[in-house]
Amino acid sequence: MGKQVTEMLKGVLEGIVLAILSNRAAYGYEITAWLREQGFTDIAEGTVYALLVRIEQRGLVDVNKVPSEKGPPRKVYSLNAQGHEQLAEFWRTWSFLTERLGQLRESQGGN
Amino acid sequence: MAAEQNEPKSRYQQYLEVLVGPLEDKKRYRRFKARAEQLPPPYRTSIDALQRYMQYFGPGKADSLLQMLDDLADLFEQSAADGIAVRDVVGEDPVEFAEAWLRNYPEGAWIHKERERLTNAIRRAAADEA
Repeated sequence: MGKQVTEMLKGVLEGIVLAILSNRAAYGYEITAWLREQGFTDIAEGTVYALLVRIEQRGLVDVNKVPSEKGPPRKVYSLNAQGHEQLAEFWRTWSFLTERLGQLRESQGGN
Repeated sequence: MAAEQNEPKSRYQQYLEVLVGPLEDKKRYRRFKARAEQLPPPYRTSIDALQRYMQYFGPGKADSLLQMLDDLADLFEQSAADGIAVRDVVGEDPVEFAEAWLRNYPEGAWIHKERERLTNAIRRAAADEA
């Protein structure tokens, strides 16, 4: 994965994680594994975990500690009402960006 | 911690033990060190290196610092259990990871105070312009 994708991904990673958590509750490693499957192979576990800590601090997710067979209990994150609002805001911003960028691209002759 | 007796004490260790040193903070810090020491070698070396970096740029308040370290221990314990390689935990650029991690714990960090000072100075300058 190129440097450009990594840079762009930083700006939208929060939205991606909120979207994943709106489908179902998950813990850090499940989210990273999913991102890697989707081709974001450079994503670090720690980057995703730092983001989960941040959205927990901001009250966008509810956290459950679930016992694990191997190792310490896992923190399982699920999106709460405030998180759903934040996700809706993210998609509005995303629509705005893709629309404007699409227009810019077309104005250049549709490369 | 007998093995560490000959090493100079770190800034926050001094902070915890001398300046403030509520017993609960000391206990919490010892619990963190014990967790770090239980990790398999590559994870332990990494968490030690991150802790060292973060002592310079991290939060100045004991609560915030201890929370930051506890969260770091959570990440490394879970990663060790899941068999995630150190490089895949920290990523290609450990400094970038450390900085992103620290942004969640701004309380009392000198760099945070300097950022606020800069923001306020420019706000005043812009207000004078209006």
